[in-house]
Amino acid sequence: MVRAIALGILLMLSPVAALAQSKKAPALSLKDLRGRTIRLSDYKGKVVLLNFWATWCPPCRAEMPHLVKWQREYRGRGLQVIGITYPPTKRREMRQFIQSVKVNYPILLGGIETKALFEQGETLPITVVIDREGNIQELIEGILLPEEFEQKIKPLLR
Amino acid sequence: MHRKQFITAIVFTLVLALGAISVSAATKTVTIRVKGMHCGGCASSVTKALKATDGVEDVQVSFEKGEAVVKFDDQKVTVAKLREVINNTGFKVVEEKSGD
Repeated sequence: MVRAIALGILLMLSPVAALAQSKKAPALSLKDLRGRTIRLSDYKGKVVLLNFWATWCPPCRAEMPHLVKWQREYRGRGLQVIGITYPPTKRREMRQFIQSVKVNYPILLGGIETKALFEQGETLPITVVIDREGNIQELIEGILLPEEFEQKIKPLLR
Repeated sequence: MHRKQFITAIVFTLVLALGAISVSAATKTVTIRVKGMHCGGCASSVTKALKATDGVEDVQVSFEKGEAVVKFDDQKVTVAKLREVINNTGFKVVEEKSGD
């Protein structure tokens, strides 16, 4: 009897747990700095890090050299970082900063509504971790720390 | 009998040594002034980086006051290291005042 109740509870909870673990990333289509349209679906099969940032955000700028390094080191294992800007952003300032840190991944022009698809708060930077199946695995607020990369992202790259 | 006394002496010495270590490993508090934080998001970035630092026991960051109050184990982390962690978040430490 107890076993039956326990099994029933387990069965009731499992769809909830499954739903929480596998939220599909929304379809996203944004312009890059050259005006080309880039879709999130272009990176299907890769582990995507959507990094929301702004030039006026000190932690965003501090974090970008790490993202550049990880993109360089893990590109071969399927990592794709995508930077999405958060307003207000001056294009000239953005270009200068991108060149100064030698960004090696696409930078797309986002808006408040783009970030709101994933997170409604005011935190910047945020990084959305999307697995190879297009599911959102993590939403990391603040600077993506090396230990978080090790624990939350590296396992997806195997 | 002699052996028992010897063991007792060793145990006593160990207890004293451990006591001395625990006395010297005190929790300290430092207030670090941070320049450039303009919103709760900025404060949460600093909080996150400090909390991830070994030896940090508690963190209160206020962007309104422009400061971070950090409780830490001075056997594990130094104030200089805490300042470095904050500087690595992109904000700038301007000065500090310490208490206990």
